[in-house]
Amino acid sequence: MQPRTIEIVVGAFILAGILALAVLAVRVSGFNVGETTGTYSVYAKFENIGGLVVRSKVSISGVVVGRVAEITLDPRTMMALVRMEINGDVSQISTDSTAAILTEGLLGGKYVGLSLGADEEFFVDGDEFYDTQSAVVLEELIGQFLLKQF
Amino acid sequence: MAPCVEGVWKVGPLMSDHVVMENVVLRRGLRRVFEGIDLTIPRGKVVAIMGPSGTGKTTLLRLIGGQVLPDSGSVMVNGQEIPRLTRNELFAARRHMGMLFQSGALFSDMSVFENVAFPIRVHTTLQESMIRDLVLLKLESVGLRGAAPLFPNELSGGMNRRVALARAIALDPDIIMYDEPFTGLDPIAMGVIVSLIRTLNQVYGMTSIIVSHDIAEAASIADFIYLIADGRIIASGTPQEIYAEQSPRVKQFVGGLPDGPVPFHYPAADLEEELLEPDEIGR
Amino acid sequence: MVPYLRQLGQLTLRVFGTVGRAGRVWWHAVWRRPRLRNLPLVIAQIYQLGVLSVVITVLSGFSIGAVLALQGYNQLVRYGSESALGLGVALVLVMEIGPVVSALLFAGRAGSAVTAEIGLAKATEQLSSMEMMGVDPLQRIISPRLWAGFISMPILALLFSAVGIWGAALVGVGWLGVYEGAFWSVMQEGVDFVSHVLKGIVKSIVFGAVVTWIAVFEGYDAEPTSEGIAAATTRTVVYSSVSILVLDFFLTLVMFNL
Repeated sequence: MQPRTIEIVVGAFILAGILALAVLAVRVSGFNVGETTGTYSVYAKFENIGGLVVRSKVSISGVVVGRVAEITLDPRTMMALVRMEINGDVSQISTDSTAAILTEGLLGGKYVGLSLGADEEFFVDGDEFYDTQSAVVLEELIGQFLLKQF
Repeated sequence: MAPCVEGVWKVGPLMSDHVVMENVVLRRGLRRVFEGIDLTIPRGKVVAIMGPSGTGKTTLLRLIGGQVLPDSGSVMVNGQEIPRLTRNELFAARRHMGMLFQSGALFSDMSVFENVAFPIRVHTTLQESMIRDLVLLKLESVGLRGAAPLFPNELSGGMNRRVALARAIALDPDIIMYDEPFTGLDPIAMGVIVSLIRTLNQVYGMTSIIVSHDIAEAASIADFIYLIADGRIIASGTPQEIYAEQSPRVKQFVGGLPDGPVPFHYPAADLEEELLEPDEIGR
Repeated sequence: MVPYLRQLGQLTLRVFGTVGRAGRVWWHAVWRRPRLRNLPLVIAQIYQLGVLSVVITVLSGFSIGAVLALQGYNQLVRYGSESALGLGVALVLVMEIGPVVSALLFAGRAGSAVTAEIGLAKATEQLSSMEMMGVDPLQRIISPRLWAGFISMPILALLFSAVGIWGAALVGVGWLGVYEGAFWSVMQEGVDFVSHVLKGIVKSIVFGAVVTWIAVFEGYDAEPTSEGIAAATTRTVVYSSVSILVLDFFLTLVMFNL
């Protein structure tokens, strides 16, 4: 085969690779190139995070507004300290909002749901939620149910 | 030493001996391939190195080309101690050596033209038109200019070897080594190769080293013959002297006798004993 | 006892000798004076190793994607979670099956060819003659193939995964009736570019380097006879396949668990 033809075919091959990468990035992983507003971090302490993991969703009214970035154990209170990265364009979360760990469907993954308060002040980077609701643990729920029965 | 210019035939210091080997010892594992070889190859002569198969004749050429390093002893080519050269110096020295391999060793993915052009392209920065002329001239000298666009697998064994010869002389080396150039050729192709070797030596004055076990062909073109057996040189001299040699090993080789100092039988136990104890076989 | 000790010693020396020679080949071919004038050779090898492996890679990717969709659907539909089909297939393809299976195919299709080609060049004294012409075969023959494998493998793995996901979408959405919006949105929700796609690419780059390294070394180190080349070709496929699977475990351990 002519060197020219080979060069063209190899060029097409490389291009196909780049296209496949683009498909995987945009179509499969939902990688958003235009997302340049940045994020800010807010913190919340929970008694029990259940199955919450890093990269779990953070949502307001079911709309994803951020991700769980880091989960550590607060050494003073021995509670789970969750750092959430909220999209920069969602800036009006009042400081008396509640963060709750909820379950997607019956057996789905955990996510953090934010219910907004009425305060005029909004969260800025590094702030912490006062009001949190831990994950509902099925065993505890069943235990309470049984106690009520007897 | 004169600085070497790419693509130009360098004339080394004009010593009368082109290749000098002194007390070369080479081991492969526990086996001794050479146990003290001394030989000299005079400039501009045709020297044949002969001996039974498996005596490391090809290895001798690889020692000269620096592809194999001796365990001890000295290999001087053009006044340069080959085993001491750095990689780059060795590659530079090899530009003045040509080697014709037994199989031809043409690059199977290149046409005949590209094969001959390969060393020129790698070592010079000549114009494409210049390369073309050079290649066609080299192919003409082996009579295969018409085969330039063909691929090696479209050529016969003899033609392959002629193309390989054209490639070996592409950069006008001052020494050329032939590894079994007569093996596996029909009489006509053999005659062509013999006359080419002679022409290259006489016209271009290339020092020629022929490794072969074909005594008749080698004797017909060689000025001098070294006979190797068991890692040593057992005889040396002009073809006439070799033919006149009286030692039984030389006579066996030159005369092609099946039995002699090199035994016909592979070492084995006594035949009668072995037949009586069939269980011993294969143990 | 002593004979066993001796065998163990021989084995150890052989293994270390081989690893040492392989390391030298790699070092000389890749890091000694990389030359831009060898670029056309690299392109020719990308064609030989990469482009000629596209058809087998794409066909396998499509079939595996389709099979994953079928099997996955059967399991997920029992829990009513068939909307997670796209997510499951995409994760499995991008992180594991894409890099691993395309590397296995690459070892069988391109690796064995490289070993046979180089072994044959060695057996017919082409490598020796190149050396005698003052050209380093490591630079001229080995190096372009190493680079080509290094470049081609991630591209093939990406094609495999992309086509596999497409095959899964055809089967899952088009045939089994998974709701299309859920198929893609759940997938986009769960698949992260950096922690899934990029790590898969890193895997395939490592596999590509290892497979071509084994292939060129086995060819270069082959005994120059027909039996020697046949044995070397077999070794290439066996060693590369095992290396891919073992390396995959450790790469997964390092990249996804720490």
